Amino acid sequence: MITTNSNHHTDAQLRVNGLNLSIHETPILNSVSFDVRAGEVLGIVGESGSGKSMTAYSILQLLPDGSSLSGSVELEGQQLIGASESELCDVRGDVVGMIFQEPMTALNPVQTIGQQVAETVYIHGGVSRRAALKVARETLNRVGLPEAEFALDRYPHELSGGQRQRVVIAMAIALKPRLLIADEPTTALDVTTQAQILAVLKRLVLEDRMALILITHDLAVVANVADHLVIMRHGNIVEQGGVQEVLATKAHPYTRQLFEASGHKPDREGTSLTDKPLLKVDGLIRDYRLPRTRLFGPSRYFRAVDDVSFQLHRGESLGLVGESGCGKSTLTRAILGLDTIQGGVITIDGETVNAHHTMALSLRRKMQVVFQDPYGSFNPRHKVNRLVAEPFHLVKDAPTGNALRAVIAEVLESVGLAASDADKYIHEFSGGQRQRIAIARALVIKPALIILDEAVSALDVSIRAQILDLLASLVDTHDLSYLFISHDLSVVRSITDRVLVMKAGKLVEQGPTEQVFLHPEHPYTQSLIAAVPQLPD
Amino acid sequence: MLRYILKRALSLVLSLVVASILIFVTIEIVPGDPASYMLGLNAQPDTIENLRRELGLDKTPVARYLSWVGGLVQGDFGTSYTYRTPVADMVADRLMVSLPLALYALLLSTAIAFPVGVLAATRRGSVADWSVMGTTQLGIAIPNFWFALLLVLVFAINLRWFSAGGFPGWEAGFFAGLKALTLPAVALALPQASILSRVMRSSLLDTLDEDYIRTARAKGLSRRQALWRHALRNAMIPVLTILGLQFSFLLAGAIIIENVFFLPGLGRLVFQAITQRDLIVVESVVMLLVFAVVLITFLVDVAYALVDPRLRQQA
Repeated sequence: MITTNSNHHTDAQLRVNGLNLSIHETPILNSVSFDVRAGEVLGIVGESGSGKSMTAYSILQLLPDGSSLSGSVELEGQQLIGASESELCDVRGDVVGMIFQEPMTALNPVQTIGQQVAETVYIHGGVSRRAALKVARETLNRVGLPEAEFALDRYPHELSGGQRQRVVIAMAIALKPRLLIADEPTTALDVTTQAQILAVLKRLVLEDRMALILITHDLAVVANVADHLVIMRHGNIVEQGGVQEVLATKAHPYTRQLFEASGHKPDREGTSLTDKPLLKVDGLIRDYRLPRTRLFGPSRYFRAVDDVSFQLHRGESLGLVGESGCGKSTLTRAILGLDTIQGGVITIDGETVNAHHTMALSLRRKMQVVFQDPYGSFNPRHKVNRLVAEPFHLVKDAPTGNALRAVIAEVLESVGLAASDADKYIHEFSGGQRQRIAIARALVIKPALIILDEAVSALDVSIRAQILDLLASLVDTHDLSYLFISHDLSVVRSITDRVLVMKAGKLVEQGPTEQVFLHPEHPYTQSLIAAVPQLPD
Repeated sequence: MLRYILKRALSLVLSLVVASILIFVTIEIVPGDPASYMLGLNAQPDTIENLRRELGLDKTPVARYLSWVGGLVQGDFGTSYTYRTPVADMVADRLMVSLPLALYALLLSTAIAFPVGVLAATRRGSVADWSVMGTTQLGIAIPNFWFALLLVLVFAINLRWFSAGGFPGWEAGFFAGLKALTLPAVALALPQASILSRVMRSSLLDTLDEDYIRTARAKGLSRRQALWRHALRNAMIPVLTILGLQFSFLLAGAIIIENVFFLPGLGRLVFQAITQRDLIVVESVVMLLVFAVVLITFLVDVAYALVDPRLRQQA
C-alpha cells in the first residue's frame, strides 16, 4: 500500500482500521484501513470484485449470512465492531446514511415517498408521525423535489430514476447523519442526471458538514468530487491519498492501469472508410400504442422514433448517443426488423427491411447484434459451440460436423478465446469473456453490420478497454461496420467515426465524432457533453 | 382506482354472460332432448311431452335462454323436477351450510398459514423452517377424507367432543351450527393451510431479498421491522391469488367432506341432482358456482389494487 498523504489522521469522523471480512471462509477484505473527516469526500474506486461495496456494507454491518468481520470501525469514537444489533440499528439511518446503486428497486413500490422518507425519522424515535412527515417534506425539498410536483403521497413508480435516487438520498440524509455512504449512486443514471445527483451530494456535504464516502468504478466521477481517494483491488487497498496526488503521481501500477483504461482509445488507424452506404434509414417513424383512457375511446400513440434519417457507410463506425427513454433501443429493434414501423424506409444494401416473415434471410444475415448484459443473453444449458452456431439458422447451406467445428474454432480465436472453449458452458466464463463470445456469435455468419447495444456498458474499465481494442481490430479483418449505441459518451468518442445524438425520438445532431464533441451545435448535445465527468490529464 | 374497478366489473359481467351461454348450450342443447334424458329409457311418450311443455322445450333455444337468464337475474331458478320445489329455495338452504363451511375453512387455513409462513421465512434454514416444510408436505399429501375420518375417530368417537356428522341447522343456535362445522372445516383447511403456508414462505423470502429491504435496514429498521413494514405487503400478491383459488375450491369442491360428515351442502346437492338427472338443478347450481368463482376473482383483483398502487393507476 502506498500512502501519498500521511497527515490526515486528526479529527476523523470515521476510522477504519485493519478491517478483515470473509464470507463462508472466502476472504473478501484484507486489512482495509482508512479515515474520513467531517465535510470531506472520500472516493473508493475499484473494479468489480475489489471489495469496495463490501467495505461499505461492513461499516454498517449489513452483511450476508455467513460473514465474519474483524478489525476496527470507529465512528465518532464509538467502536462498531462487536456492537449489538440494536446499537447498530440506532446508528444506521441516524448517524450513518446510505445510498445504493439501483434507484429503480431501492424503494418500496407500495409505499408513498413521504412515508418512506418519514420512516427514517420516526423509526429513530422521539417524534410524532406528523412531525416526521414535516421533516420528510423539508428533506425532499432539500434534494430538489419540490412540493408542487413531488407531493408526499406520490409513489415511486411515478418518478424517474434520477428522481427516485433523490428520494433515496432524502431517506439517507433526513436525520442529518454524520457520515453518508453512497455506493455507485449514479452508475444506473444518465450523464446529465449523474451530474445533478453528484451536485446534490456535494452541496449536502457542505451544508451539513457530513463525511461522504463515494464508492464507484468510474475514476472520472470521483476525480471531480472527492478530496481523498482509495484505490481497491482484490479486497486490498493498493493506494490512497489526496485526490490530486494520487491522480498526478499514479504511484501504484494498478492506479496507472486503471487510469489509462478509463480513457482508453483503441487504435483505429487502419480503418477503411468508404462512402458506399450500407444502412439507410429514411424518415423512420415508430409509434407505440398506449393503453386506452376510455373504454371505447380512440387509441392513443406514443411516438418513440420521430422522423429519423441517417446513413451508415461500409466500414464505418457510427455512434448513437442519447439518454434513457430517447428511443435508441426502439430504433435498434426497427433496424433489426423486429418491430413493424409506422413510417419511413430502412434499407440495407438497397434491400428493404421489414418485420414481416417475408424479410429475406439473406437480409437478416447481414446484421447481428450484441447486447449489454453478458450474463442474461445466453442460454445457460447450452455449450459455447451451440451458442455461437445459433445464427447459422439464417444460412441455407450451413456448415455441419467438422466444418462447423472449424468455423467456430476460427471465430473464437478471432475474438481472443481458445478453440477448446467451444466445449465449455457459459458459466465458466467471466463477464468480459462472455462479451467476447457474444461478439463471436455475431461474427460467425460474417455479417456486414454489427449493432452494439450498450455492449461495453456493463464491463469494468480494463475489460472494456480490451473489448474496444478487439472491436477496432475486427473492423479490418472482417470487413465490418458498427452501429455503436451507448449512453457513455467517452466510449462513443473513442470508437466511432461519426455520431448521432438522439433526444425524445428525434435526431438533434449528427456529424463527425470529433467535430461534434469539440464543437457541439445543439444545446442538448452541449449539455450532454458538459455533464460528462472528465479525468484530469 | 375507480376506473380499474369498473374495468374489472365489466370483465366480470362478460365472463358471466359467456359462462351462462356455455352452460346453457352444453346442458340443454347438445345432448339431445333433456326431457327424455331426465325421464329415462322407460318413460311414456305423453309424460315426456308434458315435461317438454313444462320445461318450455317447445320454444326456440334463444327464447329459452333468455327466459332462463331472466329468471336467474330475478332469483327464479326454476323448479326441481325431482323434488317439485323451487331450486332457489333448495340452493339457499344448501348455501347456508356450504358458505359458512367454506368461510370457516378459509379462515382457519389463513389463521394457520400466515404465522407459519412468516415463521418459516424469518428463520430460513432453521429447525423451525425444516419442520414447517416437512409438515406442510405431509399436509398436502394426506387425502382430506382420510384426515376427516381420523378426526371423527379421535374427536367424535374417542373424545366425544364433537358429533360424528350431520348438521342441526342454524335454528339450533349459532354455536351448535359452528360446532357441527368444526371438524369438516379443519379437514378442509389442512391441505389448504399447507399450500398457503408454503406460498407465504416463498413469497416472503423472495421479497426479503429485494433491494428495498436492504434500504429499509440501512434506515435503521431491525430485521423484524423491515419484514412487517416492507416485506409483508409486497409478498401478498401471490398469497391473494392462491387465497382466491382456494375459496372457489372450498365452496364447490367440498363434496367428499360433505359426504363424510353427512352435511347438506351444495356439493351433495349437485351430486344428487346429477344422479337423478335433475338438469334444472344442475344447470342452476353450476351457474351459481360460476358466479361465485367469478365474483371471488373480482374481489381478488380489487384486493390486488388495494395492495399495489401500480395496479390502481394502470387503466
